[in-house]
Amino acid sequence: MRAVFPAIQLVIDGIRDNRLLWGLIAGFALFPIYTHVADLPFWNDVAMRIMLLGMAAMGLNLVLGYGGMVSFGHAAFVGIGAYCVGISQFYGITNGWAHLGFSIVACGFAGLVIGYLALRTSGIYFIMITLAFAQMLFFLFVSLEAYGGDDGMSVDRGEFGFIDLYDPLRLYFLIWCALALVSLTLMFIVRSRFGVTLRAIKSNESRVEAMGLSPLRFKMVGYVISAVICGIAGTLFASWQEYVSPDIMHWTRSGELMIIIILGGLATLAGPLLGAIVFLLLEESLPLLLGAVAPAYAENWMIIFGPLLIMVVLFGRGGLTGIIDRLSAARGNADHKADPR
Amino acid sequence: MTLTLILEQAFNGLQAGVTLFLVAAGLTLILGIMDVVFLAHGAQVMIGAYAAAAIAAATGNFYLGFLLAIPLTFASGYLLEFLLIRHLYRRDHMEQVLATFGLILFFNELIRIGFGPAALYSDLPPSLSGFVEILPGTPYPVYRLGVILVGLACAVAIHMFVSRTRIGAMVRAGANNPEMTAALGINIKILFRLIFATGACFAGVAGMMLGPITAVQPGMGEPLLILSLVVIIIGGIGSVRGAFIAAIIVGLVDTLGRVFLPAMLRLVVDQATADGAGPAVASMLVYIVMAVVLIFRPTGLFPAKG
Repeated sequence: MRAVFPAIQLVIDGIRDNRLLWGLIAGFALFPIYTHVADLPFWNDVAMRIMLLGMAAMGLNLVLGYGGMVSFGHAAFVGIGAYCVGISQFYGITNGWAHLGFSIVACGFAGLVIGYLALRTSGIYFIMITLAFAQMLFFLFVSLEAYGGDDGMSVDRGEFGFIDLYDPLRLYFLIWCALALVSLTLMFIVRSRFGVTLRAIKSNESRVEAMGLSPLRFKMVGYVISAVICGIAGTLFASWQEYVSPDIMHWTRSGELMIIIILGGLATLAGPLLGAIVFLLLEESLPLLLGAVAPAYAENWMIIFGPLLIMVVLFGRGGLTGIIDRLSAARGNADHKADPR
Repeated sequence: MTLTLILEQAFNGLQAGVTLFLVAAGLTLILGIMDVVFLAHGAQVMIGAYAAAAIAAATGNFYLGFLLAIPLTFASGYLLEFLLIRHLYRRDHMEQVLATFGLILFFNELIRIGFGPAALYSDLPPSLSGFVEILPGTPYPVYRLGVILVGLACAVAIHMFVSRTRIGAMVRAGANNPEMTAALGINIKILFRLIFATGACFAGVAGMMLGPITAVQPGMGEPLLILSLVVIIIGGIGSVRGAFIAAIIVGLVDTLGRVFLPAMLRLVVDQATADGAGPAVASMLVYIVMAVVLIFRPTGLFPAKG
């Protein structure tokens, strides 16, 4: 069996090593049953947002967590992906697969150009130049009046052949499939020689160079892959929201993606998804909690969320996956292995 | 007509440039000396603007608002460094981005709770709301001219302080090599706190001066923060001189680009394309300048680190 299907064996091994990630993904597959039984269709929407944000954060995590490149402009790629839907429809292209194709090409190209220029720098300069490129694209779309400018444009959901996205469950499972595929891809990338090299560059770039490899080339490839994943998330996001505006690539969105990763755990596969769950649940529940205590201030939930973030930075080393790892280590659960770091 | 317009816009650009410098001067030192990515510097701008507007509204005296708001912003910077920022010095950049991002959310919401989400508009005293002729036939608002003069005065003061005084020498040494400076027996902790508070104070002054020109509202400092980050990168992290030159460049390029680029494009391409692309390119111009500078000089125009 093993000899015949080595690929399947690889997948099984990967799933076994990343139980938390695949457990969460399985949970998302079963979640609509719960919302159907409990009659809470609104929560399907929340789950879709979680999956989309989690997917984008996973893409960013490849460069941020595994590659150690602190990109502060990845919302730009999410935005490009989203505008691929809007602009294609503006010119009469309604096919969703085409949108995805455009998005992959456009984000790959943008990632190549921005990566080529930005990766010459490092440290604070890299953070700032990625931010600057994202701002550049943000203002570009703000001033493109033909595509709605500041107000954005409303879009129809892409036509995915037999998958009618106006059926909420089909949209849900399209997003789920994309999430599962992205997770699978990232799992293979992280476990591959490429992924190992990327992590080696993070810990010591000159040593990798001394071994005869070109760090820049590896970083570029990583950057492009992560841009494309963010773009796919953006494309599906536009179809989900039925609306695209420059707001999707505002610099605070890039900050949100970073928050999600740190919250969940840097350089782990499950981290971004876990972080997205916690982030959006906080966003949904804090106004309710605050409303129960001080009804006049329900809108001002950021006043709690801001300090919470600072607390996570000051005290929450390793994010949620770190805490889960520590807990299961304390229980002496020998089976449970951390995601490969 | 065109000369008047160019002159007027050049002055507007200069005004934008000096305000940017006030924000960037502190931030470049915070980034350069303390190696902290401090994103909440825009909140200091907002605090200054609100403090001045609120005190002016309460006392009915514009100048009093200005004067009382200065020690207030200094104190808020001092407190912030003491409570949070000093715990971030040894952390990596990403954690600093996150913590200060949290601070932005907190301050914006605090202001929203305290003053409401709507923008405050403050009136200028009659003595400042007139016009002066900078050239015969070219009137310019007194207040904006005042902003330019105050900004230039601050720039000269900062320059003299950094280049001529003993503490200034410590600051420069800190920007060049913090560990060595500390090893030479300079109390880097106190130095850091004072730099931070002074930087916050100058950002606050920028906010106070911008108040009557723009809307005083939650998040008002954020566009300024992003632009001042661009300024710092162009000028070279940690260099006050670089920040000044880059701030003037960015102010002029941004202001003049928005006004004249669409017209200039019209000379090259047809009108419809120019009208469509003009504003788009103009709003990207600053970032294009920054990218070009970084490609040719990856550490900015005047790198401070030796």
